[in-house]
Amino acid sequence: MIRFNNVSKTYPGGFLALKKVSFTIAPGEMAFLTGHSGAGKSTLLKLMSVMEKPTVGSIEINGTELSTIKYAQVPYVRRGIGMIFQSHNLLPDRTVFDNVALPLIIEGYSHKETRKRVEAALDKVHLTSKLKCFPNMLSGGEQQRVGIARAIVNKPPILLADEPTGNLDPKLSLDIIRLFEEFNDMGISVLIATHDLGLIARMRYRTLTLKQGHMITDGIVDGLQTISERNGS
Amino acid sequence: MAANDTRHNNSQHLNWTGRITARVLRHLQQAIGSLGDLWRTPFTSVMTVLVLGISLTLPATLHLFVKNTQTVTEQWNSASEITLFLQLSTSDKVAQNLVQRIQLYPEVANVIYISAEQALTEFKVNSGFGQALEYLDENPLPATLLVTPTQRFSQAQAARELLLKLEQERAVDQGKLDLEWLTRLQAIAALIEDVVIGIAILLCLSVVLIIGNTIRLAILNQKDAIAVMKLVGATDDFIQRPFLYAGIWYGLLGGFVASICVAILASYISGALRQLTDLYQSQFVLSGLSFNELAILQLTAIGLGLLGSFISVRQHIRAIEPTAD
Repeated sequence: MIRFNNVSKTYPGGFLALKKVSFTIAPGEMAFLTGHSGAGKSTLLKLMSVMEKPTVGSIEINGTELSTIKYAQVPYVRRGIGMIFQSHNLLPDRTVFDNVALPLIIEGYSHKETRKRVEAALDKVHLTSKLKCFPNMLSGGEQQRVGIARAIVNKPPILLADEPTGNLDPKLSLDIIRLFEEFNDMGISVLIATHDLGLIARMRYRTLTLKQGHMITDGIVDGLQTISERNGS
Repeated sequence: MAANDTRHNNSQHLNWTGRITARVLRHLQQAIGSLGDLWRTPFTSVMTVLVLGISLTLPATLHLFVKNTQTVTEQWNSASEITLFLQLSTSDKVAQNLVQRIQLYPEVANVIYISAEQALTEFKVNSGFGQALEYLDENPLPATLLVTPTQRFSQAQAARELLLKLEQERAVDQGKLDLEWLTRLQAIAALIEDVVIGIAILLCLSVVLIIGNTIRLAILNQKDAIAVMKLVGATDDFIQRPFLYAGIWYGLLGGFVASICVAILASYISGALRQLTDLYQSQFVLSGLSFNELAILQLTAIGLGLLGSFISVRQHIRAIEPTAD
């Protein structure tokens, strides 16, 4: 579960990136996060993945309060969140298998269990045949799916995706979102940050909209037109 | 706290033997992996190992020098003798009694008695004044005892104390122990030892700095990979382990290079030294590093490698944080 309660974030220099944001993502819920550049999406994701701490307010992730968390506890919180980025964040000198296995190796799974889980995760994203490939041997869509496999391999209760379809064509984007729906059906909470308003309109999931650090809408949005209007674009 | 719950979740999958086995295997994988990283950058690795090896060779060689100097001075120490000049009026019988009594001293290894007549004869032969000495009415030389202390009492201070004790004997006129040269030699040896220790500390410090800097560059080189690892939940301990193993490998290989260099240097010097000692008809043989000393050299090198890498990882790994880009 993700719970934000009156969270504000001010960066050094005085820039107020988030202002009194409150919302809850229940276990097994899927939602979109949208807004213009500079609206505060990245700050919100950074706060959830403990890359930043809130200036004011409290954030609870899987039962852990992040505003007062100690440095040594941060890795254990991150293990409960699968993170997917537009830039994939894969290790270029490691094979697909090694990249996907990384969270399991870190958590100390046995070799046998690691192999089993990695194969299952790659099967989910239809990349079993690319097990021994290096990231530079894959297309952008395939790299994104490796990133997704890595994010779900240790079965985290939360999946955060930052522009996961940013560099992909509409068909691949839809395939990726369908994958997220599959994970969501398995009980994983999914929060997808995206600019793709068409995608949001088609999927009809709860959408959190940020504008200049404020949460301006929170709910299911009907149609692209409405979203555009609410974003003021 | 929930984070702690997450920490222990994975332990449910394995029993304690499984956990230990998995941990040992993970350490082995990381140790071998870090060796593989060194192998993948051969030029940098070889250069670093050679610099470390040469840096460690100097203090090891200086230690060898000090050790051999000590062996030599100990040999001279043990050869030190006390000369006791007896009173001119001392009869042969009294002198013999004194010899027997001194031989019973626990501090004394051997006593040689040189009678006044024997001393005069030797003086006539050795001094070149043989004929002139014929004109003397009586023998001016006293009977002499050459006392060799035991090994324990050969040291300067103990020998001095023994001299004072022997001078208390009634028949003894005066005793002589030429320790000045020995004291000077010991002072020089002590000075050299201090200088060697000072140089060794500086060189060990340079080894720590070299390894620290090498590991720092390796960390910066893998900054992105470290950020990704942190993002997927790696602890600092997990991330720093391969770098610590790299420090250990550098130390181990540097120590090995130093051992070889010291052996080569010792072999090279011993040739020239043999020629020198032959001139003095000495049986001195340069001793190399013993097995224990080689083990200490290796352990020291490994320890310095570990220390250098530890300082570096502590300083740099924590500073690397993942970004959302």
